[in-house]
Amino acid sequence: MSDTLPFGIDQSLIGSEFDSSTSEPVTAEDIHEYAASLGETYAGYFGANPIAPPTFCMKFRGNRFSHPSIPADAFRRGFDAGKDIHFGVPIRPGDVVHTSNTLHEVYEKTGRSGSMVFVVSRQRMTNQRGETVATIDNRFMLRPKADA
Amino acid sequence: MSDDIEIGHEIPPLEIVVSGDDVRRYATVAQMPGQRFVSDEVARKEGLPGRILPGNMSMALLSRMLTEWLPEARLERLGVTFRGIVQPGKPLRCSGFVVDRREIADGVELECDVILEQGGERRTTGVAVLQLR
Repeated sequence: MSDTLPFGIDQSLIGSEFDSSTSEPVTAEDIHEYAASLGETYAGYFGANPIAPPTFCMKFRGNRFSHPSIPADAFRRGFDAGKDIHFGVPIRPGDVVHTSNTLHEVYEKTGRSGSMVFVVSRQRMTNQRGETVATIDNRFMLRPKADA
Repeated sequence: MSDDIEIGHEIPPLEIVVSGDDVRRYATVAQMPGQRFVSDEVARKEGLPGRILPGNMSMALLSRMLTEWLPEARLERLGVTFRGIVQPGKPLRCSGFVVDRREIADGVELECDVILEQGGERRTTGVAVLQLR
C-alpha cells in the first residue's frame, strides 16, 4: 500500500494539527449582529444573554484553512465542496472559542470531468470550560494540474 | 408537537431574496473577507457571473429554516454539499422533509433532507439532525 496520497502528501500527515487559535471573548452584540444578518427572528438569539445560532461557530476559522503541504495553487483550481458540522454546546456571551485544525482526509475520485482530489480539514472547537462547541469537517475539491 | 411529525413531514419552506447588501453584511459579521462575495468585478474575474453568496451563508439559511420550524429543537448535525453557486438578488427557496424519526432516551430525533434551490436548481443539499426533548 502506498504511503503517499494525492499531491504527494505523506500518509503520516493525516491527523496532524496545522493550525490552532483562540478567539476574543464573544459578546452579545456579536451574536445579535450575526443573527440579524441572516434575518433570524428567534427571540433566544437576541436580548441581554442570547445563545448563538448554531452556524455562528463557522466564524472561527483560525489562521489558515489548509495543511501547508497542499500546494496553494491547487486551491485556485478548486472550490468549497461542502461541510459537515456536529454541534456541541451553544456559544454564549463571554465564551472564548479555541479552534484546532487538522488534516483529516485526502482522497481521489474520478468523475465525468476527470480526476478530483478531496481534502478534508477538521476543525475541533471547544470553549473555555473544555466543552465541545462544534466539530466541522470542511471538504475542498481540488483539481490536479492538467499536465500532472 | 413532536408526535405530529412523521417521516415525510414537510418543513415549512423559507422563501426569500437575499440582496447584495445582505451578503455584504453577513460576510462582514461572519468574517469572510472574499471579494467575490461583495464585488461583481472581482467575481467576474474569477469566472463567476457576478458576486455570490458564501457557502456558509447558504448553510446558515438552511439552519434558519430549521429554527423557524422547531425553535425548541436542538440542531445536532448539519452536513451539506455545495452543488452550485447562489446569487444575491434572485429568489431562493430553502425546503426539506423528514426522512427518519428515532426515539431517544428522553425525546425524539428527526433526520431531515434539506435543500436550497435557486432558479429551479438544487444549489445546496444536505442532511440535518434535530433532537426534541
